[in-house]
Amino acid sequence: MLQPLTVVLLVGSGVLGLLAAHHLLRGRLVDGPLIIVGAAIELALLVQLVVGLARASAIDDGAERATFIAYLFTVLLVIPATIVIAVKEKTQWAMAVVLGGALVVAILVARLQQVWSLGV
Amino acid sequence: MSELPPSPEATPATPGGPTAERPHTGHGFGRVLVAVYGLLALAATGRSILQISEYYDRAPVPYLLSAVAAVIYIVATVGLARGDRASVRVATIALTVELLGVLVVGAVSTFRPAAFPDKTVWSHFGQGYGFVPLVLPLVGLWWIRRTARATAAADESGESDASDASGASGASGGGAAPSA
Repeated sequence: MLQPLTVVLLVGSGVLGLLAAHHLLRGRLVDGPLIIVGAAIELALLVQLVVGLARASAIDDGAERATFIAYLFTVLLVIPATIVIAVKEKTQWAMAVVLGGALVVAILVARLQQVWSLGV
Repeated sequence: MSELPPSPEATPATPGGPTAERPHTGHGFGRVLVAVYGLLALAATGRSILQISEYYDRAPVPYLLSAVAAVIYIVATVGLARGDRASVRVATIALTVELLGVLVVGAVSTFRPAAFPDKTVWSHFGQGYGFVPLVLPLVGLWWIRRTARATAAADESGESDASDASGASGASGGGAAPSA
């Protein structure tokens, strides 16, 4: 759809995943850098939502278009949900949740790109 | 949900929790479980809304099954997250139904594909979702059992074995269950 944005998002979720893995191994909990990276990804996801909605009409098939739009919104929920869970948890499992969340964002972004390239 | 994160400091994670906490299905490793169930609830709900609204006539039975799966995932997520006695019982039932569902639907869709013209989350034992739908109820039921035992042990001896209950090492079990 917008390839630079997709690359930025994949790199961003990679960084978040690495940071979470680092914190997990070092026995740390949610801290400033983690929240900043998460917020940056969320911002990029919002840009993706706007761009995606503006261009969604290019997808011909109605069901594919609905899937695409549903993914655009769903992916927004992942980071806030994982951060809320991680803040509440005071053991290393908090970082396992963030690591999983970063993976899910990457998968959803890749799926979005896939739906887009097949649909246009 | 609206609560702000407490001042984000690099506090070290205490392996067994800050105090000797009561075992809870929604704490420790349970957070990962709740997160994964929440994600599946979201995925199944989205998929079934799309299927039923966009092309219900094509395959009503699989689409209704997707909706049933979505409801079960939502119930399981809430039950595990709440963690009180009644909620855990409801979650146990939901997970058992889920396990039966994935086994039956998985078997039927594999051996009689004609019965399932379109996919559900449980088709081919959850292959489309990396077999997570098959593994998850087993992990969930194991976790509920483990929590119940830890609770019983904590009630028996006044001091609880908190370090055992909340899973000390993050790396060992956590990587395998949710991400596959």
